[in-house]
Amino acid sequence: MAEKPMWEQIGSGFVQHYYQQFDTDRVKLSELYTDASCLTWEGEGFQGKSAIMTKLSSLPFQTIQHIITAQDHHPTPDSCVMSMVMGQLKADQDQVMGFQQVFLLKNVDNKWVCTNDMFRLALHNFGA
Amino acid sequence: MGDKPIWEQIGSSFVQHYYQLFDTDRTQLGSIYIDASCLTWEGQQFQGKAAIVEKLSSLPFTKIAHSITAQDHQPTPDSCILSMVVGQLKADDDQVLGFHQTFLLKSINTAWVCTNEVFRLALHNL
Repeated sequence: MAEKPMWEQIGSGFVQHYYQQFDTDRVKLSELYTDASCLTWEGEGFQGKSAIMTKLSSLPFQTIQHIITAQDHHPTPDSCVMSMVMGQLKADQDQVMGFQQVFLLKNVDNKWVCTNDMFRLALHNFGA
Repeated sequence: MGDKPIWEQIGSSFVQHYYQLFDTDRTQLGSIYIDASCLTWEGQQFQGKAAIVEKLSSLPFTKIAHSITAQDHQPTPDSCILSMVVGQLKADDDQVLGFHQTFLLKSINTAWVCTNEVFRLALHNL
C-alpha cells in the first residue's frame, strides 16, 4: 500500500484531532492556535488564540457532532499545509447541517499549528 | 464607510474575476495559475498551469453559472491570501448544486496568482 504524501498525513492527522477535540471538549483546542492565528467563524473575524478560544468555548450548544464527508490537503509554496473539509454537523437536537472549513497549518518550533481557520455553515438563500 | 482590508479587496476581486471567467470562457483561466500551482478537483489532483487548464477546459458542460453565497478572506503569515467560497452552481440543465472552493493566492512579480485550489460539490452520502 503506497504511503500517503507527508502533507496528507499532517493534514488528515490534524483534521481528525481537531474534530475529535471539538466534539468532546473544545476548550482543549487552544493548543492548536497561536497568538498570530486568525479565525473567521460564519463571517466574523477573531484574532489570536485567546479571542479564538473565547469564541469557540462560547458557542451555544451542549453537544456537537461532526461527520466528515471529504477532506483535501495541499502543500503550499511556503511549506504550509492547506486543508479543506466538507461535512455535516449536528448540534444538540437541531437538524443536520452541511459545513465547510479550511485550515492553514504551519510548522512552528517543530509543532504544526493552525494559523488560519475559516468556518461556514452551508446555508444558501434559495431564490424564488 | 470603512475601507475593506487589503486582503479582502484582493481576495474578493480575485473571486469575482475567477467566476466571471469560469462562467464565460474558462479556457482563459490560465493567466491566474503558474507552473507550481496545484488543483484538487473533486478529489483528483492536477499539478501545474497546463494540467489545470486542461482539466477545467474539458469539464463536460456547455453552460455553467456560479452564484456565490458567501466568501471569506484572510491574510496568512507568509503574506498570502486564503479565500473560501461557498455557493451554488448550475451546469447546463442540471439541478442547482452547492459547492465549496478554496484558493490560496500569492503575489509573484506584482501579480496575484493562485498557487493552491480545491473544489468540491456539496454532496454528502446520507
